[in-house]
Parts: sequence; structure tokens; C-alpha cells
Amino acid sequence: MHKVFRLLVVVLALALMAAAGCGDDDDGGGGGGGEASGEPIKVGASLPLTGEFSEPGKAARQGYEVWEATVNAKGGLIDGRPVQMVIKDDQSNQNTVVADYNALISRDRVDLLLGTFSSLLNLPASAVAERNRMLYVEPAGGAPELFDRGFKYLFFAQQATADHQGDLWAEWVTNLPENERPKTAAYPTLDDPFARPALEGIEAILSDAGIKTVYRETYTIDNPNLDGIASALKARNPDVVVHGATFEDGVAFVRALRRANFTPDMLYQTSAPSFGDQYSGAIGKQTTEGIFYGVSHTKEATTPGNKAFVAKYREMFGGQEVPEDAADAYAAAQVLEAAVKAVGTIDRNRQIELADWLRENEVDTILGPLRWDDAGRPQGEFLVGQWQSGVPEIILPEAAATSDEIIPEWRPEGAG
Amino acid sequence: MTEFLQALILGLLIGGVYALLASGLTLIFGVMNVINIAHGAFLILAAFITWSLWRAIGLDPLAAIFALTPVMFAFGWLLYNATIRPIRRAPPAASVLLTFGLALFLEGIMGVIWGNTSHSVRPEYFAQSFEIGELFLPKAQVYGGLVAIVVLASLYLVLTRSWLGRAIRASAVNPQGAELVGVNAVSVAALTFAIGVASAGAGGAIASVLYPFLPGSHYQWIARLLGIIVLGGMGSLPGAVIGALCLGVAELMTVTYIGPEWATGVPYAFVFIVLLLRPQGILGTRLRQDVATA
Repeated sequence: MHKVFRLLVVVLALALMAAAGCGDDDDGGGGGGGEASGEPIKVGASLPLTGEFSEPGKAARQGYEVWEATVNAKGGLIDGRPVQMVIKDDQSNQNTVVADYNALISRDRVDLLLGTFSSLLNLPASAVAERNRMLYVEPAGGAPELFDRGFKYLFFAQQATADHQGDLWAEWVTNLPENERPKTAAYPTLDDPFARPALEGIEAILSDAGIKTVYRETYTIDNPNLDGIASALKARNPDVVVHGATFEDGVAFVRALRRANFTPDMLYQTSAPSFGDQYSGAIGKQTTEGIFYGVSHTKEATTPGNKAFVAKYREMFGGQEVPEDAADAYAAAQVLEAAVKAVGTIDRNRQIELADWLRENEVDTILGPLRWDDAGRPQGEFLVGQWQSGVPEIILPEAAATSDEIIPEWRPEGAG
Repeated sequence: MTEFLQALILGLLIGGVYALLASGLTLIFGVMNVINIAHGAFLILAAFITWSLWRAIGLDPLAAIFALTPVMFAFGWLLYNATIRPIRRAPPAASVLLTFGLALFLEGIMGVIWGNTSHSVRPEYFAQSFEIGELFLPKAQVYGGLVAIVVLASLYLVLTRSWLGRAIRASAVNPQGAELVGVNAVSVAALTFAIGVASAGAGGAIASVLYPFLPGSHYQWIARLLGIIVLGGMGSLPGAVIGALCLGVAELMTVTYIGPEWATGVPYAFVFIVLLLRPQGILGTRLRQDVATA
């Protein structure tokens, strides 16, 4: 009797599971036809909400949520259907991010995907999307090797890949009048898939223009002592220091330069200076004066939709700061939205059409117009930022500039 | 020559700070046989408290040491009685697991209180240096080194000149024997653990000026500090000082003459070679362990 009861329970459970499975299938099929109205369109992403990249990960989630709210307020993505974001936490872990995207595709049966944060995590996550033939627009992940794999569904929603992040600034340096142009340069960099290629790109342009490289070294993230590097730089006395950094080491490096009493004429850093108050708080406001950096977004930008995005962001999350990573995530979602609206489908079997459309068209985003080559590399130019009087300003390109002035050197003693 | 001298000075200064950070770890191991994986988390906790004091009332990190050491001492004493005491007779692996758990717990708590963003304390001297000719001595590191000397000298005096010190050393060498002559081994262990955590308080205050930190920074520190006390000889205070100075100089020499990307690897290769030649570390003694519970 007992055994019969157990068998019955098992059969019932199986029947329920099968029913649930069929239900999911129906959701997927219904999405393809675009007939059903009111049914939410599920957009899945896995973000580093905890662990090493938790700050940018959380900002990216905010960006996606602002987009979700904005699209739904406008009456939905297509056919009047609202968007529902399904966001998982990959704990800044490469294995978890793979498991998450697999689960989003097969278990949650999302209709569309959006990318995660950092090159490190997008590298494996984009492979999952590619295998499942789903469009994958990523808000971060500009390491060049991402685009050397011949992927057809991967698109990077910033202006340029890492190796071109500093192009505009490097060209500005090489175009300076002869007597103002630096003669020597140093390139210390963190061993990071974004920072390193950014520096290599800048070095290629500067050395072509005859600016001699006097120092080029890589250090690892687990080495907290940058005093040795500062001391080596002081001994070589380069005119310009180009530093490939993420946030923590970027701050530690500026502090080490100050301790070594070494002030190069110019200082360019990747990433770190775009962290706003967190950066100026860590090195001291007056120390920031004149530091150059590459950046994708500014809240003052006059790009279409930026004002509305900034207002909505502040309404939802408060505060004055709008993190660059939130803006990048919003822009990635805008790219996805543009493709879906233009092609008019979210069918999982027709996502190559979305990718093909992106390859052939330009999309207006809050970062400015974006367009891509066949491999999904963006073909634009990063903005160049500079800290001026304790405020991060955009100085190049002229069309996007928020300040008329470019301070020609690093003045760590303040604006004096 | 200037470059070599500069690297040597920076290495010794960094080594001094390392010695301060490692002193509590080696003390706790020497007396209690507990490998305190949470030591790095205690340092970061102290750094966060220093940061809060500095932000709220502008308290200088060096002055914060006076406030922090008693607080951390009390925290250590409570923590010992609440968590480590119940497992004091368990094999050492249990303490590794327990303190690792403590480290994770503290990391989570710090994340909730202060957030997972990078913090740094910036007193006036954080970016200044003393200059001697062409050489520079970063003030923060010099002060850190001086604090290290004061803390280590006091620890050494307590250990060698006071009754408590004799009780601590007696408990380390032979707990049963110490109890026979009237030493309360449990309360000595609690005091030792508290002193170890208090020294992390002083270390954290200094580290907060020298390095940006976030709750997860403790992993990077515990790895380095374990390397130092293994090199110096587990449980030996002078050994920890020598180990720390060696590691600091090895790191800076590597950055200067081999390349910064080797700065993590080469010092550990050095530790490895020393241990091949002297498995007990530079000043470690093998007898102590043999006698202890035989």
C-alpha cells in the first residue's frame, strides 16, 4: 500500500513537471508569434552584484532597471508588451556567469539577453549566447580578444574597444606644438584585459610620433606596493605617464607618485578617474587637477535621451552622481531595443536578423551614435575627460566637450 | 647606486609595516597553535574604524591607534571566549576553518556597514616624504615603521620581562606544565589572542593610510602575512620581524631589478628556498613543538 502511494506521488509530480514544462514552451512560442498582448517580454542578464566587481555590477543593474521602467512607461517594447528584467548574480565568477546564462536561456526561457559587466565575465558569457544563437549586447567588455573569435551575435555598446580607448587623447598629444609636446613617456599597467590593450593603443600612436618610451612594465593586482614603480619612474623622469589602471591601483599609484615627489608633466589613467567623487575622495580633490582619462558617458552630455535618462535615474535612485556603468548598461539596452523595434521580432529562432540589422545600422544612444563592424566592434571614439577644479569635465571631442579649456599639465598642488 | 639605496630603504620601511601587521598573527600561533586566518579581516576592520573616526571627527590615524588598540583588545577577548575557546582542544585544522569563517563573516558585516567600495584615509602627510639628498622616505611609511618598533618592542618587553609574558611563554612551551605551576592557560590564551587582535588594530590604522582597502582586501593581506611568519619561523616574534624585512626588501628589489609583474612571485620563491634549507624558518625552533604535548 505504502509503495503504491509513493508511486502515485512520483507520477503526480512528473505530470506536474511536464505540465509546467509545456507551459514554458507555450510562453516561448507565444513570444515568437507576437500575437499575445500584455504578456511581459523577459530580458535576462547576469551581473556581478557581489564580489570583486560588485560596484559596477550594481550600477549596471540600475541602468537596466531605468531602461525597463522607461520602456514600460512608453507602452512596452513591441506589440504593447511590457519588459520584465530577469537579473541573476554571478558573484564576479566566470563559472557562475556561464551557469547563469545557461539557466536564463533554458530554465527561465527569457526572450532576449543583455550582457554582463567586465571583459573577464563577458568572455565566457558571450560564448553561451553565441552557442544558443541569441543576440548579446554587452555594456562593458572592450578587451580586443572578445572580438577575435568570429562571433556573430556579440555587440559592444560603448564607443570603442579598449585598444582604441585613448586614441583621441593620444592624437591630441601628438598634435601639440613642438615645444609643448612631450619627448618621453612611461607606461606602467595593471595586468588586466581592458587596461593593457588601452595602453598599447596609446603607446603605438605616441611612439609613431617620436615620443620615446622610457618605461613599460606590468604589475599584478595582488601587489599593493606601487612605491617601487613610482621610484623607478622618478629615476627615468618621463614627460608623460600613461597608467593602465582599474580603480584601486589607480588611486594607490597616484598616492605613490605623490610620496615619491614625482610629478610628470602629464598624467593619463584608464578607468580610475571616471569614478567621480570616489576618486577625488581617495587621492584628494586638489591632486586631481589636470589628470586625463578616457570615459564613455557624462551626465551633462547633450546626446538624445540623456537628459531623460539622468532625470529618471535620479528619480529612481536619488543622489547627484550617475555612474558611468549605469549609463553603459542603459545604452546596451537601447541598442537591443532599437534592433527589436526595427526588425519587429523577439523570436529566439530569428535573432540573427537582429544581429544583421545592427551590423548594417547606426543606433542613437545616450553615449552618442554607435555603429559596429562585422565582429561587433564599435567604430566610434571614446570621450576624453579631465579633472578641472575638482570636477570631471569632458574636453574632447569638441562636440561633446563640457569645458572649453584643456589644462596642459598635471597640477597636483591644486588649481593655483 | 641611488636606485639600489632607494629600493633598499623603501623595502625596509615596507618590511617594518609588514612586521607590525604580522606580529599578532605569529604571537597567536606561538602560544595557541591557532592559525588565525581572520587576522587580515581584523586589520581591515581596524582600517575601517580608523576611516570612520577620521571622517567623523578628523582623528589622525596615528592618534586613532590609542583608541583602537583597547577596542580591538576587548573585541579579541570577547571573540576568543565566544568562538575559539570551545574548540581549543580540537586539532589545528578546526581553528583554520573557524577563523576562515570568521573572516568571511567580518567581510560580510563590513560590506553591509561600509559598502564594497574602496576606502582610504588621507591625513596631511599621506602624500609627503622626508628627503635625504636624492632619496625619499615616505612619511606614512616612516611613521608606520616607528609604530611597528614601539609596538614590537612593547610586545617583546611584555613577553620577556613580565609575569604575563612568562605565563604566555610557559603556556606556549608546555601548557600542562604551566597549569601545574599555577598558570591559568585558558585566560592566558584569551589575553594572548586579545593582544594579537589589538596589534592588528595598530597595524590596520597604519595600513589605512598606506593602501586603499575594501572588505575583500583581507585575502591579499593574509596570504602575505602567512608567508612572512612561515619565513621567520612560526610563533617567533623576532623571526616575524626578520621575515617581514626580508619580504619587503625582496619585493622592492624585484620591482626595481626584475620587473613589477614578478613582485608577487619572486618573494615567495625566496620563502620557498629558505624553507628548503631551513624547514622551521629563519628563527623557528622545532623542539618547542616536540616538547609541548609529547
